[in-house]
Amino acid sequence: MSTAYPLPTNISPTTVANTASLLRIVAFGLISGAAIASRLFAVINFESIIHEFDPWFNYRATRVLAAKGFYEFWNWFDPTAWYPLGRVVGGTVYPGLMATSGVIYNFLHYFNLPVDIRNICVLLAPGFSALTAWATYMFTAEMKDPSAGLLAAAFIGIVPGYISRSVAGSYDNEAIAIFLLMFTFYLWIKALKLGSALFGTLAAVFYFYMVAAWGGYAFITNMIPVHALVLLLMGRFSGRLYVAYCSWYAIGTLSSMQVPFVGFQPVRTSEHMGALGVFGLLQIVAFASLVRSHVSSKQFQNLLAISVVTMGVLGAGAFVVMTYKGWIAPWTGRFYSLWDTGYAKKYIPIIASVSEHQPTAWPSFFMDLQLLIFLFPAGVIMCFRELRDEHVFVIIYAVVASYFAGVMVRLMLTLTPVVCVSAAVALSTLLDTYVEAKEPDVPEERMEANGSSAPDGKKTKKAGGAVGSQASTTAVAAASSAISDFVSATRSSASTPRQKGIWGADTRLVILLNAIGMLVFFVFHCTWVTSNAYSSPSVVLASTNPDGSQHIIDDYREAYYWLRMNTPQDAVVMSWWDYGYQIAGMADRVTLVDNNTWNNTHIATVGKAMSSPEEVAYPILRKHDVDYVLVIFGGLLGYSGDDINKFLWMVRIAQGVWPDEIQEPNYFTPQGEYRVDDRASEAMKTSLMYKMSYYRFSELYGGGNAVDRVRNQQIPKVGPTLDYLEEAFTTENWIVRIYKVRKEDTLGRDLKTANAFAQGKKKKRSKPVSRRRAIV
Amino acid sequence: MLRLWSAISCLLLASAAASASSQSFENSAIVRTIDLGGSLVHVTTTFAVKALKEAAGVYTITLPEDEIFNTSWLEVKVKGKQQPLTVTYSGAPAGSKSHNLDVSLEKPLEAGATINLVLETVQTHTTRPWPQQAAQDEDQSLKYETSLFVLSPYNTSVQRTKLKSSSPRIIFYTEPENVQAFTLENPVTKSGSTVTYGPYSNVPPSANQAFLDKYQQRVVLHYSYDYPVLEVLKLRRAAEISHWGANLNIQDDIVLHNAGPRLNGHFSRLQHQTQSFYGRGAPHVLPLFTVQLPPGIRNTYYLDQIGNVSTSHLRVAPSVSRGLKNTQNSVLELKPRYPIMGGWNYTYTLGWDAPLGDSGSYDPNTGKYIVSIPVMTEIPGAVVNDAEISIILPEGATDVDYVAPFPALSNEISTHVTYLDTIGRPMVIFKYKNLTNKHAKPIYVSYRVPISAHLRKPMAVATVLLVLFTFAMVARRVDLTIYKTPTKKM
Repeated sequence: MSTAYPLPTNISPTTVANTASLLRIVAFGLISGAAIASRLFAVINFESIIHEFDPWFNYRATRVLAAKGFYEFWNWFDPTAWYPLGRVVGGTVYPGLMATSGVIYNFLHYFNLPVDIRNICVLLAPGFSALTAWATYMFTAEMKDPSAGLLAAAFIGIVPGYISRSVAGSYDNEAIAIFLLMFTFYLWIKALKLGSALFGTLAAVFYFYMVAAWGGYAFITNMIPVHALVLLLMGRFSGRLYVAYCSWYAIGTLSSMQVPFVGFQPVRTSEHMGALGVFGLLQIVAFASLVRSHVSSKQFQNLLAISVVTMGVLGAGAFVVMTYKGWIAPWTGRFYSLWDTGYAKKYIPIIASVSEHQPTAWPSFFMDLQLLIFLFPAGVIMCFRELRDEHVFVIIYAVVASYFAGVMVRLMLTLTPVVCVSAAVALSTLLDTYVEAKEPDVPEERMEANGSSAPDGKKTKKAGGAVGSQASTTAVAAASSAISDFVSATRSSASTPRQKGIWGADTRLVILLNAIGMLVFFVFHCTWVTSNAYSSPSVVLASTNPDGSQHIIDDYREAYYWLRMNTPQDAVVMSWWDYGYQIAGMADRVTLVDNNTWNNTHIATVGKAMSSPEEVAYPILRKHDVDYVLVIFGGLLGYSGDDINKFLWMVRIAQGVWPDEIQEPNYFTPQGEYRVDDRASEAMKTSLMYKMSYYRFSELYGGGNAVDRVRNQQIPKVGPTLDYLEEAFTTENWIVRIYKVRKEDTLGRDLKTANAFAQGKKKKRSKPVSRRRAIV
Repeated sequence: MLRLWSAISCLLLASAAASASSQSFENSAIVRTIDLGGSLVHVTTTFAVKALKEAAGVYTITLPEDEIFNTSWLEVKVKGKQQPLTVTYSGAPAGSKSHNLDVSLEKPLEAGATINLVLETVQTHTTRPWPQQAAQDEDQSLKYETSLFVLSPYNTSVQRTKLKSSSPRIIFYTEPENVQAFTLENPVTKSGSTVTYGPYSNVPPSANQAFLDKYQQRVVLHYSYDYPVLEVLKLRRAAEISHWGANLNIQDDIVLHNAGPRLNGHFSRLQHQTQSFYGRGAPHVLPLFTVQLPPGIRNTYYLDQIGNVSTSHLRVAPSVSRGLKNTQNSVLELKPRYPIMGGWNYTYTLGWDAPLGDSGSYDPNTGKYIVSIPVMTEIPGAVVNDAEISIILPEGATDVDYVAPFPALSNEISTHVTYLDTIGRPMVIFKYKNLTNKHAKPIYVSYRVPISAHLRKPMAVATVLLVLFTFAMVARRVDLTIYKTPTKKM
């Protein structure tokens, strides 16, 4: 046997195994380090701070949990949210994330490590990303081998698609959910492979953890049954499948019902019915196969088959009837929007208004996955080559997740793990083929007989050896050679069976260097995307000073801290729902609506107040005891994520509830443009939102042209006036503007006339003078 | 007001001695100069004293009751000397609302000898904004009230009171009445930024009810003040000494309040920006302030409850080794998240690490470490209403002893448990009220740390790791399988 490069011969297999194990541990340690380190850009560039919107609620809830204990948290009724309704937090939250942080917090404090709860929350996601890498390693190792596992771990560790949801400070459910997802899948595969009730139970336990942590648990709830069903249909029913599925389903479902927010949903809603159905089906099939193994009559077997089918049909019918009767809740709007992308926009604008619920744009696949998106199909095809039970799982997962990732941006997150796994399988196969030192044995006489067969053969091996090479590199396989490959392949298969393999070290080097080069580019891409796109806390903005140093724009916290320090503790702050959690977390004040968008009418009320003229909005504000109104205005700085840009959603949501009073077309110019300058429509100009945003804005420019730098439009010189509100605070860059709602006039006049009277005093005094002149 | 009293009574050891035998002294002149400020008012009273009897060693100073309650710092010196004289409290003269302080002179005076005594006091919370509200573009003016005559149990040949304001805009001052007995001229004169009451000649012993009833009166000065009136409502200072890191970490948690006139109406950013653009910031607005930190500090952090405040500038002066004179401090320009208008609050946390060698030393004679920790870092012009200074010593420190520059309201030694501690660290807590810039002096703490205490932490960590590894070793070798399948196919 010839080798392409010399191999050491005097090494015992134990040494090889031990060295490999040590190398794996070292590699895994490095992968964990890279996974954690690449998520720390935000902490290094800014500070240890909770990001964005939802994490602020999680952080606040975690602080309650850490301070008051789990029992208090469970029974926590938050009167400061959704004023005046309040919110039962314990029953409307997935507590897994907070419980995890709480456990870590108490553990560390027990050992006298007084780590601040904020730092635990900030660093939870990076920490769990290392665990995700480990879970992906285990999962992929089950698919192929540990070296593919290491590749997959490295991919998931740094791939932007996952980093986008798990940078330090992004303290959201997804931070731990992806680990739980991968680990549950791993345990399911393990249980299925071994037919082990232990692993099935472990899968159920982690499934429970997942249910407690993320609403996306429904993905597991449906993935595993679909896998089981496909295996059934492929005729792969076995005792292993039965044991694994039943132990997972029974324990998992019962334990998931312990989470208050989930409650009886697993037996009452359509999303969970698939799992129940497959569970029933498995019982029937198991029963049938049991009976069949004891009965030999052909007719009886036919009867059995018919009865099984009948029972299946009856079960499905019962399901339909129960849904129709309302015993099983039909699918929720969010679920429908997964099938019909236009559904949300038509019926539930509040879902459509969230940017992460939009369909994914093609470039974002490349941005989030880069090289992996090309290796992904190759890996899936690799799975078809062996098609063991677990490969079927990956194939189903790939298909389902690809669809969902195309429908909703945020579901890119569920696609990422399977992309990493498949890409690792593909790349690992490629590397296996080309690193392998063994060269195929070539009969001497053939070499002599056909001189030109050697280069031909080489190409054939390439084509046959690795599908990955086709997808990954164009440098070697040119189109013409591909054709000749086919020709030679058919020719050779017709003549004698030829050995597969690669000749020579140079061929190997070309491919391997190529592959390594692409991996290096992948690393650079990931680092770049992470540092530029995904590491901004969005609470704090950064810009650059003329001298190149970083300038922090901290208007949000300025305003929130002002609210916290200088307003009464029970002041009610109205803002668009995006800022609800932040106000509750940072300003510690009562909010009307927040990011837990459970009450559409309440949100529509705020939308109506914002889009109505002052005198219409004022009774709404007073009825809700609103003391302060907070708006985000980016016109001075060119900050595009401001309320004027979100304004149309407020109008749409309000229109959904009050179609008679608020109409979206009124806010456009007759030409159909969305304008804020002097051509803006009357409804736009009189709306509370417009007035609050541009109040005294043009005065800032003295006599010059006041230009809104987001919309690049010139603001009229005479700005809007406010009668029912007064400016209370505006931040340094005018991003956050807070207005105080005035109390009713003490003399019972409406505030407009009261204001006019107060301002008109001077005119009245001057009037008698002119009259006297007239007399003279 | 009573809380202040306790501070003073701590300051002055109570003694039951009755007032000095009358007329062992005579004041040839008393000049009281009041430097009007915001929350702090510095009062310097010079007594030109002539002894009338032989061996007169104890001079009595009388302060009215309201004034002594407002005084948070008091010192008597002989003019031109550094060393302050011993002052003891000697009770209140019967029937008068005033209190006597006995000053023990260094050596008794002979008859006819003269001496100049300087009484320096700092009053807190004695001014009040008037009007109580001011709009964003309005001026700030304060009212200060004091009594016309400086009290003394002795005859006074001539006395006068000068009230100095920082700006010449004095809106109003009281014209004293019923002073014809002491002066024939104008009882009050104003020149520039100074209002002078007096000179009043031949004032009889005034620390008695008869004089108070007949002549004593309140005078009010209404003046405009160009700086914000600041109060630190609460100061929590934690100083943590670490021998392993040779580090002294000091962290201040501060609640800052603008005690000037409350903002009338609302804050307009536009107006604020216009004002600061033209350099005409309103006097009652605090956009930023400067504090002096020790030289050679590291890792300075400035945060509040919701994270880092990015708007500050720090110039670190190089570290000065102990014993050498400190010429330069690190300067930190603190800019709060928002300009603090009248009546607004702001809280922040400021902390830094300093080399322990700069403030601590080891005394080989006694085997003790001595560390000096300043009571507070001065915020210019601010009074600290309520301060709690806790000094955390290294774990296992024994024989803890301390010397405070002035007695605390309360002291306690408790235990503080932090990173990797097993038995916790001794913590000395001092509580104070109404601290002023005069109080920014060091507390000295001495303690002993045995070698075993130094090694406690590494030993604890090593033990825990050892236990973990042992557990892992055992756990790997335990086989809990109930039933062994002969061979597995997978």
